[in-house]
Amino acid sequence: MTEDRSLEAFRDEVRAFIRESATEEIREAGRKTTSVFAPFKQAMAWQRILADKGWVAPSWPQEYGGTGWSLEQRYVFAQECNRAQMPPILPQNLQMVGPAILGFGSDAQKAELLPRMLSGEDFWCQGYSEPGAGSDLAALKCRADRDGDDYILNGSKIWTTYAQHANKMFALVRTSSEGKPQQGITFLLLDMGLPGMEVRPILGLDGAPEQCEVFFSDVRVPCGNRVGEENEGWTVAKYVLEFERGGSTMGAWLVPAVERLREQCEQVDELGQRRLDDPVLARRLEALEIDALAVEHTEKRVNAGLKHGQNPGPMASLLKILGTEVMQRFSELQLEVTGLRSLVYDPDALEIGAAPSDFSEDELLAMPYYMNTRAASIYAGSNEVQRSLLAKAVMAG
Amino acid sequence: MQYQYTAEQQEFRDSLRRFVSDHYDYERHRQRLTKGEHFDAGLWQQWAELGVLGLALNEEYGGLGSGLDDMMAVAEELGRGLVPEPVVPVVAAARLLASVASPAQAEALLPSLVGGELRLSLAWEESASRGNPLVLQTRVKDGALYGKKCAVLGAGEAQQWLVSARNEQGELLLLLLTAQPDGLRRYVMADGRAAGDILFDSVPVDDSAVLCRGDAAERALRQSVSESLLLMAAESLGCIDSLLSVSGEYLVTRKQFGMPLAAFQALQHRFADMFIAGEKLRSLLWAAFQQQGREGFHRAAAQLKVQLAESGRYVGQQAVQLHGGIGMTDELNVGAYFKRLTLMELLAGQRDDHLAGLALAS
Repeated sequence: MTEDRSLEAFRDEVRAFIRESATEEIREAGRKTTSVFAPFKQAMAWQRILADKGWVAPSWPQEYGGTGWSLEQRYVFAQECNRAQMPPILPQNLQMVGPAILGFGSDAQKAELLPRMLSGEDFWCQGYSEPGAGSDLAALKCRADRDGDDYILNGSKIWTTYAQHANKMFALVRTSSEGKPQQGITFLLLDMGLPGMEVRPILGLDGAPEQCEVFFSDVRVPCGNRVGEENEGWTVAKYVLEFERGGSTMGAWLVPAVERLREQCEQVDELGQRRLDDPVLARRLEALEIDALAVEHTEKRVNAGLKHGQNPGPMASLLKILGTEVMQRFSELQLEVTGLRSLVYDPDALEIGAAPSDFSEDELLAMPYYMNTRAASIYAGSNEVQRSLLAKAVMAG
Repeated sequence: MQYQYTAEQQEFRDSLRRFVSDHYDYERHRQRLTKGEHFDAGLWQQWAELGVLGLALNEEYGGLGSGLDDMMAVAEELGRGLVPEPVVPVVAAARLLASVASPAQAEALLPSLVGGELRLSLAWEESASRGNPLVLQTRVKDGALYGKKCAVLGAGEAQQWLVSARNEQGELLLLLLTAQPDGLRRYVMADGRAAGDILFDSVPVDDSAVLCRGDAAERALRQSVSESLLLMAAESLGCIDSLLSVSGEYLVTRKQFGMPLAAFQALQHRFADMFIAGEKLRSLLWAAFQQQGREGFHRAAAQLKVQLAESGRYVGQQAVQLHGGIGMTDELNVGAYFKRLTLMELLAGQRDDHLAGLALAS
């Protein structure tokens, strides 16, 4: 078999598996996803199904539960999941804390934690940002003071996505105020719900409680929960941030999404008209498709140039900027296409299993998706910070 | 040439601003949104008592006989206060009614509109209209009305609807109908205002419902829709001015990397571009205002809507961006302004719709 034919056979295998194993509830959650974070319960149910199949962590090394797929296969898998509108797997376990443990965890941490990350038995949230430390993450102040074999945590974390659902947190905490701010940070694992911890959900402008603030008051965490050395958490975090930014398959989401938008524009409405017959809209769709392809092929090009375990360095910044801004452009065009049909605001109707609404899913989704996607140029290092990093790295040669 | 409010109008606007900040603080806005309280009868009565509902109507009906610019000043404050009550839609519909009603009809309806007891909604938008009120599918056939209107602001709070339709000869009719719950699909929009789609499926109409027909109806309807575009632009400016002031303050006070955000050149430039976007909209608003009563009025109003879409989107998106995570929450009013501007972008014809219409007319 040629490589292309084997890749197509793999694509068929993925399609067949999705067709047979995704429940209606999971599919509904996938369709109703208005964020990079899919509805929690169904995203985790889908994660469990993929874990049972051994397909949940394509980017991990095979000995720890990775798939052993080629980069092309990983991209095909992502494309097919997105084409079928499966809920995206939440990134915290497999793309954030997982790589930190793989790269810096002890053997005991790996043995205990990795299998539970894969299966979804644990769900981890990310305790990085603080009210005073957003783009300037190294300014974080949440303190961890040594007390025998424990750390005592005091302070708070914010923009902790889905903390209300998590049973574990990975956090950056300050263990020293000497030297550069980056030098006194430690990477710590902890259980949610410890005495002295409090979680406050924050309502987003789309009406969804996706983010949280987490408060710590004399919270006791064993030193054995540290990943890497004390005061060397920044190295771990940088590795995770680059992992979060790199290895990305946003193009695998964008290209099928543009296809779906085109299909929506091809539909004949009640007056016998097609939106695609508007030449201006048709051109804008073409331009959006070019943008989406530029994301896909830049990702593939960058990924292809990496040896295993290497991180993409400044190209990660480029991919983050490019992918998120094309995503935002997509959300704008989808909103414009849906137009007067997207005015309704009804978060209850977007709940999974909600009673059938007077409004179609297209009508209900375009506005919250547009709203939520404004976060894409803010999260994981704002695009302003990314541009500075990119310019600095490229100018330095 | 008028490019700003008169001293008297500014004084009036200041008094409204105080009223709005007293009754529409953001905390209350959030609570109302959570409970779905998009209309408060007590507040509506206060708007009537302030004279706002009759501001742009003739004195013989209890109005104040002011011009569109007074109403623009009101609209700015409605935008600034994120007011969900349908003040602009009701006033605009009342002005249209006043322009086409017989003296008897005017006498019967306008005083109660001014007094706040009667609310009126103009139903003209349809899925195919794309900003042009003369493109419509709604038909009167054999004494019954058929068609679907979209995005009728305040439809559910109005007792009477003004509806555009064509008859079998293709003539435009302006109909005054009693609001009916059947066929009305109500919803709350993302900014907390209420709207509705209305389906007319064989609703009986007789000649007494026809307020106006033919060329006169077309002229009156176009005038009303263009006036609404000016009021929407003024309302958007209220939102934009607020966003500029909140964002400017945030840039000066928020510190990252050991200095205020305002020290970063990229953000200075962004803020300057937001300011420029607002000023472009303000200039085109007054330019359109000056065209009132002239041949170029509708063209200027369409150009204004294009600028509204561009400025509103840019300022709204960038205000969220400059605030970072907190801008994405409903705890700050930034997102609320962004949502209101986004809805304004979509209502009454989008940017590309008006550009297409302008190009066709040139």
